[in-house]
Amino acid sequence: MAELTQNEKRLLAILEKEKKADAPHLAGLMGATPEAVVQWAFLAQDNGCATVGRIVAKEFVYTDEGKAYLKDGLPETQLLRFILPGTTLADLQKHAAFKIGFGQLRKKGLVKVEGTGVTRITGTSTDADEAALKNPSDADPKTKELIKRGILQEEETVRYAIAITPEGLALAGKGLDLREETGTLTREQILSGAWKTANLRRYDVSKLPKKAYPGKIHPYQRIIGEMREILLEMGFTELYGGIVQQSFWNFDALFQPQDHPAREMQDTFYLNETLPLPPGYENVKAMHICGGETSSTGWGGSWTEKKAEQCVLRTHTTCLSIQHLAQNKNPPVKAFAVGRVYRRETIDTTHLAEFEQLEGIVMDENVSFGNLLGILREFYNRMGFTSVRFKPSFYPYTEPSLDAEVYVEGIGWIEMGGAGIFREEVTAPIGIKYPVLAWGLGVSRIAMLRLGLKDLRLLHKSDVAFLRETPSLRKAKGGI
Amino acid sequence: MAVITLPYKYLERLTRTDRKTILDKVALIGSDVERTEEDHADVEFFPDRPDLFSPEGVARAMRGYLGIETGLPAYKVKPSGISFTIDPQLAEIRPVLGAAVIRGVNFDDESIQSIMSLQESLHWAVGRGRSKVAIGIHDMDTVKPPFHYIASRRSRGFIPLDFTEKMTMDEILEKHPKGRDYAKIVKDFPLFPLIVDDDDHVLSFPPIINGERTRVTLDTKNILLDTTGTDKRAVAVAVNIICTAMAEAGATIESVEIDGVQTPTLAPAERTVSVTECSRILGVDLTAASMAELLRKMRFGAEPVSADTVKVQVPCYRADIMHDWDLFEDVAIAYGYDRLESKPPKTFTVGKPHPVPVNAALAREAFCGLGYLEVMPFTLTNEDVLYTRMQRGETKGVLHVMHPISIENTVVRTELLPLLLEFLTLNRHRELPQRLFTVGDVVLDCHTHQQAVGVSTHPDADFSEAYASADAVLHELSIDYSVKESTDPAFIDGRRGDIIVDGKTVGVFGEIHPAVLVAFELEHSVAAFEFDLRAVPGYPAL
Repeated sequence: MAELTQNEKRLLAILEKEKKADAPHLAGLMGATPEAVVQWAFLAQDNGCATVGRIVAKEFVYTDEGKAYLKDGLPETQLLRFILPGTTLADLQKHAAFKIGFGQLRKKGLVKVEGTGVTRITGTSTDADEAALKNPSDADPKTKELIKRGILQEEETVRYAIAITPEGLALAGKGLDLREETGTLTREQILSGAWKTANLRRYDVSKLPKKAYPGKIHPYQRIIGEMREILLEMGFTELYGGIVQQSFWNFDALFQPQDHPAREMQDTFYLNETLPLPPGYENVKAMHICGGETSSTGWGGSWTEKKAEQCVLRTHTTCLSIQHLAQNKNPPVKAFAVGRVYRRETIDTTHLAEFEQLEGIVMDENVSFGNLLGILREFYNRMGFTSVRFKPSFYPYTEPSLDAEVYVEGIGWIEMGGAGIFREEVTAPIGIKYPVLAWGLGVSRIAMLRLGLKDLRLLHKSDVAFLRETPSLRKAKGGI
Repeated sequence: MAVITLPYKYLERLTRTDRKTILDKVALIGSDVERTEEDHADVEFFPDRPDLFSPEGVARAMRGYLGIETGLPAYKVKPSGISFTIDPQLAEIRPVLGAAVIRGVNFDDESIQSIMSLQESLHWAVGRGRSKVAIGIHDMDTVKPPFHYIASRRSRGFIPLDFTEKMTMDEILEKHPKGRDYAKIVKDFPLFPLIVDDDDHVLSFPPIINGERTRVTLDTKNILLDTTGTDKRAVAVAVNIICTAMAEAGATIESVEIDGVQTPTLAPAERTVSVTECSRILGVDLTAASMAELLRKMRFGAEPVSADTVKVQVPCYRADIMHDWDLFEDVAIAYGYDRLESKPPKTFTVGKPHPVPVNAALAREAFCGLGYLEVMPFTLTNEDVLYTRMQRGETKGVLHVMHPISIENTVVRTELLPLLLEFLTLNRHRELPQRLFTVGDVVLDCHTHQQAVGVSTHPDADFSEAYASADAVLHELSIDYSVKESTDPAFIDGRRGDIIVDGKTVGVFGEIHPAVLVAFELEHSVAAFEFDLRAVPGYPAL
């Protein structure tokens, strides 16, 4: 049984003597309104101490119209009284009750109209209707008719009979603490010591009050933060850069040929702006055309400055890595970036035109493909994925290239990201002399798995209820 | 990505082993098995390996990888005695021509299908949608050499493939499905490329469509291959890939004379590579002999020439081998990615966060402390949300995306506040109060910087709440600010303040204007504030 409120206890104390009574009576005894008493009685009923009986009484009430008829008779009675031998329809029409009464007379077959005269039909009367008006009764069909005519109204009155149960009696018998209760403890009570004797209201621990919602970080941001922390722990420097990039850094410096499909308008968001090419861009140009001074053949064909100057919304964060390398040519360089990237894709549940990419690079003397596998294994392990495997892949600016897959319980092997060693065609033109290990992964893919999302758009057009309900700490299982 | 259909029986015959052995290992050379069916498998290969876009090419690679037949595949080419002339007027239109004669083909439904899909995959991967390379395959016995690659008047007519009526080339671009698909490649030239035989019969209108006359059928025994384009290397690669695939299937390849040169030769290219460099790049200890053996497994010709050098013969179909490291990748694939040792690098480095995310994290902490919930809106939006509904004028420096996907995503966001109001619209049915914030990038001209924005909506949200919340976040970020009355039309006059730092307006706070609320279909008042994070002392310039 839940804790009784002060008012329930007061009610029980009274009921202990009264046993059973109606609400107004109890209200009189308690100095409260009947409504309040009923409310307390229901609470007591929930606690098994009392029963509340709802007694419904039906009553007929006269409308204003009905009250008048009660005095003067129904309109049809009034007309009947008026009809004398020789009364004409015209006479009758002058009567105030004609409008309502005459229809009733005709309907009930009490009069007949011959020529201009109206005569009563002998042996008929409105006595039964008048009786129904005086003493309405549920059983009388005439009464129903009067209700329909808006002369009478049916009214229900509800009365509550409140009785104490044996459990209630037992409880009352044990003695009820009827001292006044304290809800919120006041400063005065604390300072004066009144709290020592105060009767502190007891609360029902089984009832959750109105929910409180903490302000918090977006669950997706939390995953991004987790990845940042892992890479910072692994000794990487964080990069942050602009969303708008020159094609030169986004594509050309990464040895993406100028006629590559990814550079077309239908795959990349182009802007109507251009930026001047950086000094030394000619090295990149030469690399595209003939492989510069490396063992590469280059792409051949043409390379135009105009295409390289065009600004785009970055299609990957690799444009930040390459610019960082161009400014930091001495080994070791270990850097990473998490940032929004853009692809001109039609938006659906698993494809967004903008999404987060994580990208990392390591440039050092004597780093190898094996080291790249080591970094990836470490990163994915720290993300909670214990099984990691690698398979050959292709990326335009890395060679050798690989795809990393992680094992997820219940799903299987999932492709998590691509990696490789920057091609010499990428590193040589900006003066990098050592291998650059590079990898990237789609952050939203992990978020989708972790948060159990079926629609990626929820990350960016979030339902507040989803954000409120997603706990900050997710029970991770095998990285998910 | 190219998905190639591999019929088991054909693949088994060519590879000389069973399907299971092949399918178990095919991913290890760089592919994804998309699905396996009763009689075939669909396998996806990477765009840098167009030589694997046919069952013949896959079988050739798998024989090497499985050790059935290693080393350089040799292809014999003998001169056909057939020649082509090239019209010099094509120099500005579509200058490059490659061709070959393929004799003794033995087509069935499957092998015709296979060569057609190889042709289509090459159009995609090498040909850039036919603009760079387009391939035509003809029944050689329906036409009479020598052949002529000419620049023709556009009004010339012939019967295009799949049609029965003669059409002019202009009509083909307008009416033929392929004409419509590829018209954009040629439509601006005064003359159109055309290949005709010595009797002036049309073989092909590259890169659009072949003539009906030379249609390849199950009875075709000898093929004439034409390949036209704008890039010499790409055209040669396409010819080599088709010829070697057909040779794998049992046909004989004959060269033709183009401008006095015999082509194709199907001869390998040579590279001499360093064993030390390869070992260093891969992180594996190799000898010249072991490296050569691994390369032979990948179908290269490879012989050690010294302790540190291997001479490699690169098959003519390997378009992707541009650089020595491309060979090193093949060494790694032959060695097995699963056998490579994973070892993190040893160099000591210290992690260093970037100040932008560090400041963003501090702002988040302040917002969360005030009970605000983070949201992460899209960065692409539109002018209606950013300006019209906000009653604000267009921000100077807003960037318009040139080819937006939809009218919802036409510009890069210049402010964040409108996006948060959009969030409130989205969440109208959710419990109040709602307090939301975001910290993120906005772009003006080509420059990215960051803003922090908070909104609070509930029946009692007012100016004081906006002011107090803004003050709290600004204080946590040590931003020393002053305030003056604002004129921002998104807010109510008399209930709005500008945040001033060093004499510059860096933000605004107040009660959102009821007309703006109505524009966002909101029913409760909104207390809001936004500010530029560059106001944070010592904030980095990007």
